Amino acid sequence: MATYRRGRGLGDRLLLLAVVALAIVWIAPIVWVIGLSFKPNDVLMRSTGGIHLPPFTLKNYVDIIASSQVFAWMLNSFIVAIGQTVLTLVIASLAGYGFARTNFPGRNVLFVLVLAALAVPEQAIIVPLHTMFAAVDLHNTYAALIAPRLAFPFGVLLMTQYFRAIPAEIEEAALLDRASRLKVFWRIVLPLSIPAQATLGIYTFLHAWNEYFWPLVSATKPAMYTLTVGLASMQTNFAQTEGIGFLMAQAVFAGLPVLILYLFFQRHIVSAVAGGGNK
Amino acid sequence: MAELSLRNVSKRFGAVEVIRDLSLDIPSGEFAVFLGPSGCGKSTLLRMIAGLEAVGSGEIHLGGARIDTMAPGDRGIAMVFQHYALYPHMTVRENMAFGLRNIGTPPAEIERKIADAAEMLEIGELLARKPTQLSGGQRQRVAIGRAIVKQPRAFLFDEPLSNLDAALRSRTRIELARLHQRVSSTMIFVTHDQVEAMTMATRIVVMNQGRIEQVGTPMEIYQRPRTRFVAGFIGAPAMNFLPVTGVTGRGGMAVARLPDGSEVATEVPIGAVKAGATLTLGVRAEHVLPGNGAAAKVDVIERLGERTLVYANLSDGSAVVYDEPGDVQLSVGESVALTIDGAAAHLFGPDGLALHG
Amino acid sequence: MVRLRISSGRTGSHYMAERAASGIGLSRLSNGLFVAPYMLLVFGLLFAPLVLGIWLAFQDYDMLGGWAGGVGLENFENLLDDKIFRGTVRNTIKFVLMTTPAFVALGLFLALALNNSLRRSAILRAIFFGSSVLSVTIVTLIWRLVYLPDRGLLADILSLVSLPSVDLITSQTWALPAIAIVTVWWIIGLPMTLFLAGLQQIPPELYEAAALDNASRWRTLTSITLPSIRRTIIVVAVIEVILQFQLFGQALLITGGGPDNTTRPMVQFIYEAGFRDLQLGFAAAASQVLFALMLIAALAQMWAGRRREG
Repeated sequence: MATYRRGRGLGDRLLLLAVVALAIVWIAPIVWVIGLSFKPNDVLMRSTGGIHLPPFTLKNYVDIIASSQVFAWMLNSFIVAIGQTVLTLVIASLAGYGFARTNFPGRNVLFVLVLAALAVPEQAIIVPLHTMFAAVDLHNTYAALIAPRLAFPFGVLLMTQYFRAIPAEIEEAALLDRASRLKVFWRIVLPLSIPAQATLGIYTFLHAWNEYFWPLVSATKPAMYTLTVGLASMQTNFAQTEGIGFLMAQAVFAGLPVLILYLFFQRHIVSAVAGGGNK
Repeated sequence: MAELSLRNVSKRFGAVEVIRDLSLDIPSGEFAVFLGPSGCGKSTLLRMIAGLEAVGSGEIHLGGARIDTMAPGDRGIAMVFQHYALYPHMTVRENMAFGLRNIGTPPAEIERKIADAAEMLEIGELLARKPTQLSGGQRQRVAIGRAIVKQPRAFLFDEPLSNLDAALRSRTRIELARLHQRVSSTMIFVTHDQVEAMTMATRIVVMNQGRIEQVGTPMEIYQRPRTRFVAGFIGAPAMNFLPVTGVTGRGGMAVARLPDGSEVATEVPIGAVKAGATLTLGVRAEHVLPGNGAAAKVDVIERLGERTLVYANLSDGSAVVYDEPGDVQLSVGESVALTIDGAAAHLFGPDGLALHG
Repeated sequence: MVRLRISSGRTGSHYMAERAASGIGLSRLSNGLFVAPYMLLVFGLLFAPLVLGIWLAFQDYDMLGGWAGGVGLENFENLLDDKIFRGTVRNTIKFVLMTTPAFVALGLFLALALNNSLRRSAILRAIFFGSSVLSVTIVTLIWRLVYLPDRGLLADILSLVSLPSVDLITSQTWALPAIAIVTVWWIIGLPMTLFLAGLQQIPPELYEAAALDNASRWRTLTSITLPSIRRTIIVVAVIEVILQFQLFGQALLITGGGPDNTTRPMVQFIYEAGFRDLQLGFAAAASQVLFALMLIAALAQMWAGRRREG
């Protein structure tokens, strides 16, 4: 790519220096929080310096496990995220295939509507959406936490794009091999779309796991909190808090799973984000 | 009786009429090649036979049954696609078995059919591989194998050689011709390459702008083109076309006068020609004989090895290409004299139709 | 589905006319079943609330008092008269103006610097993207700790260079920029990734041709790279404007809208009107204003982008 570049040397080194300095700014807060989460609260009361010096303790983590509802919230988050991921994959794959490769009366009109749905932000509908769920008394249920995101069109458009890129010839060959339309979808198209499924799946999972606004207004009972909402509910007025280490341990406890997920599936997550930008 | 029969088939995409009221009968066991320039409708026609495009109007019959109303898989045809369309996630064996499983063929029979086809196509060692692990030529064979195992009434080929390199292409031509002799099914092959058509077809269907220009054996098409389009499309180099006027008769045959005044005695009966009409004389390179006759000047020399094509300009400026032996001594700008072999020349009317007896 | 075999086709083919040759392009109502589940969801849970929200915006409807009929534009008039709401509009626009240029500039800088196949670039890209997988709760938790006036990381660093500690989030001047910094830190990965994708689209031959034309690196950047990704730049800017108009969690969790409402964004206003005060009509009207502002901003940007192109 850059084979023909001239003027390597000073300029390149300065650029690298700048980027590395920025990277340090980027990870410093995370490293700092992880480090301090292993320090006793009474030490942190006096000073947060000497991050690398003893004493160290696991007490903050023990406290999380013992005293809070974090595990229950984590389970809620997990159920909601998995449910949303599985349903999104099924629904978006079907719809994406329908739009990409089948024809039916009204298809183009419907597709334009789906594209238009992309322009609707969550905030524009959250009040009436909340009213609708309240009318059927669904708040504080998993269904209410899972359903609204399924209506957002990102996954459908991603899958539509992907299915369009699969050569039509392959499906035609399958039709000539006497496969029904559903069989073509199930045996030919779906297996070929596994990379896209993985991308959409991981992306959806992360989004669901991190979602804040809707769970905040829909799950009002602490037992139904997701991890995101639950943690937020505990972060009140802590400038004077005595439990900084405890708060830090919470951040680590909740953040580490997604960071690990990210390290494993970085490629998929990044490609979903890149794909979403081309909409 | 015709095996494949197209009756008044039409097709339009929006405002564009791609197939215009086309009728065609192909006898059983033929190797028919649909030949024409891109956009002539040949692929659309093939896809309508396969059921991948709906027929606009008209009917298609295969083996006595009307098939244009059937689902593609029910028509008893197999198709080899341009890019082969192998299922990327299945092994070669699974690719070939897929269609057979879908019609409930017993596993033992599937195995036997795959083994037979694999032996015939010499792809036995590839059965466990996935398409991405195959070369272009191997994919081609697998695609053919997938068609063969279905024992279809008709094989359809959609320009399947266009992705192969030149050497492989000519080898595959020979293999397809051999395959045709062996399985004796009806085969329909779409291409824009006249060499493929000439070498493999038992019958060529020349198409242009959604219509059939001519149907015939390769030599019929080559020697007696029915239209100027066919004459120009078939044969390399393309046939020479010269404007002729003042046609007179001699011994019942037409004599055409070239712009420079020289005359060519054709073997077209004068009865077919209106005296004094403005016509086009068509003559292939091998029927323009150097030695004496009309004066011309050499413009470009194209050496092909066994023969040399010489492009020369007649005194009135019209261009003519003719044949010389491979080692002919000639240079650009040289003056030559050319005679047109009237017995092999064609005359085309203003409507583009050839004039025959 | 009825299966026809060649053998039976002779007798059975004609009644099948309606399911005629079914290439994959054939229009059939049954194919609509593929999209039906999603269409039900998008109509039920997106378009229906959208329409309901627009209707609500013209109603006097609160959760406690119930529905008291249509009120025309009254909700919107009340919004206009509401000093806090006008403040949230100002805050939100300020925030968009702070963050969008930062996202575009920094995202582009990182993408340009890291658009190569070196291993260290891959690691750096992972670092810059990594923070965006965290939830807003964790991000704000981390940064509230960083911003702690006496014991935070920022205070520690300032004391290292003998500067006095500052309490950014209680400062009327600095609270909003502090939230902007958190936001850039949080999701710089998105613009960076979009720019990287754009840069990958530039054919390498262009750079080879430029090298043969003796173009300097700066010249290559300004005459080849930037013009080639101008569409991406516009897309990123539009996406960022739309996203940053939706500022909510960071403000709610870091400052709660204070001090003195200087960081309260529009979405928080909607949240408080709708879910704390339960004034549904009023909140829905505020939602419509937000939606309209976002559309206008995005369209204006696209229009400006296209104009410069022409």
